[in-house]
Amino acid sequence: MQKILNLACGSFYALGAYFGVSAVRWALGAGVPAPLFVAVLVGSGLALSVIGPLIERILRTIYGRDESLQLLLTFALVLMFEDVIRFFWGTAPQQLGGVYLVYGQVHLGSLTIPVYNLIVILAGGAVAALMGWVLARTRFGRIVRATAENREMSEALGVDIARVYARVFTLGTALGTVGGALVIPATAAMTGMGIELIVEAFAVVVIGGLGSMRGAFVGALIVGVLEAVAIATYPELEMLAVYAIVIAVLVLRPAGLLGKATA
Amino acid sequence: MIAGRRRFLTLMGGAAAASRFRATPAFAQPAPVKIGVLVITSGIAAPVGESGQRGVRWAANRINAAGGILGRKIELVIEEESNPKDTVERFQKLALQQRVDVISGGISTAVGLALGPVAEDLQALWLSWDATTQKGVEETLPKPKYAFRSVDNEAEAVMAALLTVKHFRGKFRTVAGINNDYSYGRDCWATFLAILKKHNLGVTPVAELWPKLGTTDFTSHVAALQQAKPDLIFSSFWSGDAPILLKQAHAAGLTAGTKLVFSTAGGVHESLKKAFTPEGMILGYNSMYFDAPNASGLLRQFVRWQHETFKEWPNYESDHAYFTIVAYKTAVERAARAIGGRWPSTGQIIEALESVEVESLSGMRGYRS
Repeated sequence: MQKILNLACGSFYALGAYFGVSAVRWALGAGVPAPLFVAVLVGSGLALSVIGPLIERILRTIYGRDESLQLLLTFALVLMFEDVIRFFWGTAPQQLGGVYLVYGQVHLGSLTIPVYNLIVILAGGAVAALMGWVLARTRFGRIVRATAENREMSEALGVDIARVYARVFTLGTALGTVGGALVIPATAAMTGMGIELIVEAFAVVVIGGLGSMRGAFVGALIVGVLEAVAIATYPELEMLAVYAIVIAVLVLRPAGLLGKATA
Repeated sequence: MIAGRRRFLTLMGGAAAASRFRATPAFAQPAPVKIGVLVITSGIAAPVGESGQRGVRWAANRINAAGGILGRKIELVIEEESNPKDTVERFQKLALQQRVDVISGGISTAVGLALGPVAEDLQALWLSWDATTQKGVEETLPKPKYAFRSVDNEAEAVMAALLTVKHFRGKFRTVAGINNDYSYGRDCWATFLAILKKHNLGVTPVAELWPKLGTTDFTSHVAALQQAKPDLIFSSFWSGDAPILLKQAHAAGLTAGTKLVFSTAGGVHESLKKAFTPEGMILGYNSMYFDAPNASGLLRQFVRWQHETFKEWPNYESDHAYFTIVAYKTAVERAARAIGGRWPSTGQIIEALESVEVESLSGMRGYRS
């Protein structure tokens, strides 16, 4: 909506992961029952989204400026957040031991699926549905869509643009921090994880279409399924398959599968 | 043109080395021996790098407490090991700017292959900790003089294969490999298969997976392994990715009916929890096992120090790193004895290093030319 290419979204994801590890360790140490760790992760991610308005205030200075300047500033934020992580958590990977296994597994035929994975998949679907509902059905969503469509007209009609921008950015920050927190039980928080995510997110956004929520959803599914199929059939093609699609989309449909072409 | 440039670099390196390694007069105020140390401090391999750094520090502290090397105290100059390009620059900084006497460190094979030729060009003595693969060494270092490697080629894959033959012969027919997508991972897998073949185990490889180093989501890899249904899975993961893979594999039920051989994962044993590390797997500890029943007094002292100081049990990288420092000290002292007690030249130290054998944490270790 702000028409800004924000590389720092990867840092929100990384910060959410580190903050989540610390929050769960603290909670378990304080006697919180292990099965409640998901609530602790979501809570820590939401709490961390308070950094959203602060970062948005910094980015406000480059709205409407050249894209290269936006990239430089947001990449500077990425590097600064990397150092923040090193300062508070050190450089060693942070893990949560065996809490990932606390919910056990479900068996579907010959398949064994960790229940935590199902929780995360369902949470992802629920968040996507909630976002879709908010954007399509609520007054706030209509204002957001109207502002994205025509900022000047919205402003002329009395919309407090600065406030809308701050709220939307904070919402995006929360998605990043909660996402980072939820990924931690199965993996580890480590330096550089935010930068890794940015690269993958770029492929998703290019395939789906910049500025399209449905596009991001479709792009993420394509990238995820393509990687999984490549690994299962011909592992050498894992990266190549994704970026072949990226190139094909850029050549045949530069605005992405569900993005709007700009004049 | 290229030859000319190489020649120029060699001359420059030679000039720098000549001034750097000028002999210290025997009765002058002893300046410290500067030892450059390259350590992985961030990312998935940080725990292994940290362990190496502890080995170096413990060695330096003990040597300094006993009077140093020929009366000169050790001063460590720490730099980060990261990707090959940046690490080469830091190596050059240690050699040319910091003017260190010797450089210790280097874990990643990719980094090691890049550092070797630079050490030779700069005539800077380099004692690597790991960088264990053989691939590319003949091409990049046909006749190394200044670069010393502290481990044998894929030694852990060789040992893992031999243990597999011993414990699992006749108990598996299919095997799958999941190894990092670079020379170490590929060489370990090839070595493992070659030894199984040599022992006529008659097993069939059913899957080969190559996640890049640093991958933390193995959901698709685990699914691919489940689909391939191997009787045994081999992995040479050596850093923080090993416990993550085991955790995800265990959660998906993969570890229940499958034999596991992880040749090098003992390096991150602090992160391997009972909840997802199955009993009966072969877990490689490389050169040093912290709780070896026949542990030497030296190893027991180190393990006690590390556990009291950091509340962690050490891994093999401490051994490699400790060995480089003690080997250097021994070589300097031996070379000095031959020339009347003066500080020897780099060439004389190298000559002594080529046949040195010292007590390290894992027992007697040495270099050969």
